[in-house]
Amino acid sequence: MKVNIAGAATTKFGELWRRSPRDLIKEAASNALEQAKIKPSRVEAVFVGNMLSSALGNQDHLGAFFAEELGMPVAAMKIEGACASGGLAIHAGVMAIQSGLYETVLVLGVEKMTDHSPEEVAQMLMGAGTDAEREAGATFPGLYAIMARCHMQKYGTTEEEMAQVAVKNHYHASLNSHAQFVFPVTLEKVMKSPKVADPLKLLDCSPITDGAAAVILTKIKNNEVNIIASAVATDTLGLSEREDLTGLKAVRVASQKAYQMAGISPKEIDVAEVHDCFTIAEIMAMEDLGFFEKGKAARAITSGKTKLGGSGPIINTSGGLKACGHPVGATGVKQIVEIYNQLKGIAGRKQVEGAKIGLTHNVGGSGATAVVHILKKG
Amino acid sequence: MISPVKIWRNQKRIRQLLGLKGKIVSFTKIFVPPAGFEAQAPYIVALVKLANGQNFTAQLVDWEDKHLQIGQKVKTVLRKTRDPGEEGIIPYGVKFRRI
Amino acid sequence: MHKVGIAAYGVYVPSNRITTAEIASVWGKNAADITRSLGITEKSVAGRDEDAVTLAYEAAVNALLRTKILPAQIDACLVGSESHPYAVNPTSTIVAEFLGLEKKYLAADLEFACKAATAGIIALSGLLLSGKINYGLVIGSDTAQAKPHDVLEYTAAAGAAAYILSRKETDFIAEILDFASFSSDTPDFWRRDAVRFPSHGGRFTGEPAYFYHVESSARNLLQKTKTEPADFAYCVFHMPNGKFPRQAAKRLGFTEKQLAPSLIIDQIGNPYSASSLLGLAAVLDIAKADEKIFMVSYGSGAGSDAFILETTKNLKIWQKSAPSFADLMKNKKYISYTDYLKSSKKI
Repeated sequence: MKVNIAGAATTKFGELWRRSPRDLIKEAASNALEQAKIKPSRVEAVFVGNMLSSALGNQDHLGAFFAEELGMPVAAMKIEGACASGGLAIHAGVMAIQSGLYETVLVLGVEKMTDHSPEEVAQMLMGAGTDAEREAGATFPGLYAIMARCHMQKYGTTEEEMAQVAVKNHYHASLNSHAQFVFPVTLEKVMKSPKVADPLKLLDCSPITDGAAAVILTKIKNNEVNIIASAVATDTLGLSEREDLTGLKAVRVASQKAYQMAGISPKEIDVAEVHDCFTIAEIMAMEDLGFFEKGKAARAITSGKTKLGGSGPIINTSGGLKACGHPVGATGVKQIVEIYNQLKGIAGRKQVEGAKIGLTHNVGGSGATAVVHILKKG
Repeated sequence: MISPVKIWRNQKRIRQLLGLKGKIVSFTKIFVPPAGFEAQAPYIVALVKLANGQNFTAQLVDWEDKHLQIGQKVKTVLRKTRDPGEEGIIPYGVKFRRI
Repeated sequence: MHKVGIAAYGVYVPSNRITTAEIASVWGKNAADITRSLGITEKSVAGRDEDAVTLAYEAAVNALLRTKILPAQIDACLVGSESHPYAVNPTSTIVAEFLGLEKKYLAADLEFACKAATAGIIALSGLLLSGKINYGLVIGSDTAQAKPHDVLEYTAAAGAAAYILSRKETDFIAEILDFASFSSDTPDFWRRDAVRFPSHGGRFTGEPAYFYHVESSARNLLQKTKTEPADFAYCVFHMPNGKFPRQAAKRLGFTEKQLAPSLIIDQIGNPYSASSLLGLAAVLDIAKADEKIFMVSYGSGAGSDAFILETTKNLKIWQKSAPSFADLMKNKKYISYTDYLKSSKKI
């Protein structure tokens, strides 16, 4: 398969009190269209990745909402898969182009989270979990903490090793003007941050963020960066029904499908954006994506293999969810933007030299949905 | 207000989970609760393997630090779960208590 | 002649305790003075996620462990409490549903201050003696509340006791031989609708209330059955504090030895509708066969139900099949006054 990325853009991510969802989408979409040198009138379909517009904003019908805002009265729909909404919207765009039904589609990802209290947001995010998990008063940090404890018990992963993920991603974000936290943090700062859900601390957790991203997918040839694999898999909604709590099976299934589609092996990935909603998530992702052996990723990260300048693959040059921020529905689309920039050579100070093949890994809930994309230059 | 119909529909499922023994597979102590659980924090959410082979996620009650171990034996008990507010039907559900 | 008896009993007490000393220190009172006047050193406190429903359920589960009778066989479920979670919506059906009673049962909630459940025993005894039902479940359950700084704060506690009654002699672990009630309109302790905490008449709750009704129903029953205190191995009196039951026993002519096993007040305070029934359970935990028990409940407002029971040889078979009152006392955790306020949702 080959779907071309004609243009890609994100807004700044952060606590954007003054920016409405319309505002954010307008900025991301117009920048992407400008970069693609495509007139808005050529867009034939719009896919919007978003999770909480209904629960927090009382707004359903997001396809029509943004189609009107952008002046594009074309096919438009909201795609939802919790925190994988953005990745699923990209997948929908890929399916639209591959099917031959559309030639130019606009994929948007947007989330507005800071209008509401953190407690309310935490409660609504649990819409991605099961009823039993909600009834238990679990939060997403809590669910990943439960997995972290298993990983620590089985592989000896330590809290310091988890903290190193945050340190690395903050270093990358300090080079990214669009990130929420454009500053590095020390290991000590992460270790001393207040407990959220034991053993996860505040700086082990991605923040609450506003932001939007847009990608233009086309059928037109002669573009440089292509999506060569787009795979989705699901696993049980809740943790209690999983076979194994030290990794995400949906990620293994989706990534294996993606590697097969692309005809490559994990070793060939130069750069990747992975779903580090919590530090432990990046460690599990390294293993589930086949970059490192099970139980060995924590050490590899700590030794600097996945940091800019390391032996690779270089992970989360945007700063990841932790330091770039996690506007839920936008993340999956922003990951595509970052890899697009890397492969096109326009990633600025965070450029991975000679990056040819990249991967994005977007997860919904505690691992119930996994979306993996592989992008290649040329 | 939680729908009384949903609470009613759930009763059978709760009854099937009562009086079961199990062992803690993993757990966490929640310090930052979601809306509705503020007054309970900090509390323990545990994932337990029940004697019937299935896993279940629920709060752990009446615990001391020494009970917070993978492998701790527990049983299911009936407790109030979500906050019904001033007017709503009170939801009861299953929590774990150490044996 | 038709008979009625207890087939099984079960108890539940929450594990949190708060001491008289802890409460007294908050209000600047001398703990020793309070202990001396009330005869209480600590009381049980329900967890924030416990209520009369959950306590009643746990006690009933323990009762079901002491019998072959199945929930599906139970024809009636009465729950007596002063802290029913709803003003309208029966505790009895919620508990029955979780226990697995089948729908062909009578359910009703009772209220009569601390004697709601013993009234339930009499009511079900009537249905059993007349052959209208085969098995009945009565539960006394309370998570009692008290106004901060009020003297009741030291005594109002939480607990539940469940009794399965039968009309088949082969089921009996204790036969209910007879009962007598004594009632009047005496406003010693009350709570208006929609008001959170009860009020009481202070010293008025003593002679004209507790003692008058307890002694009158007791003497009536002794007279009616032509028995005297010496005929009994044990006695149980409702326990609003440590002093009243001891005084009542003495005045009626019972000895300290007869009363001692029932004094759950010394360990957990006053769990209202479960008070005399927990006292009875504590006695059944240690009683032998063919021993007579004299029990008198008391409910403010006011009234007393007096009972004569006699244990059977079956008691020994089932005594150890479920946790005893003493077993439950082994698992206790002391909490601070702030935690106490959090549990009872005052903060």
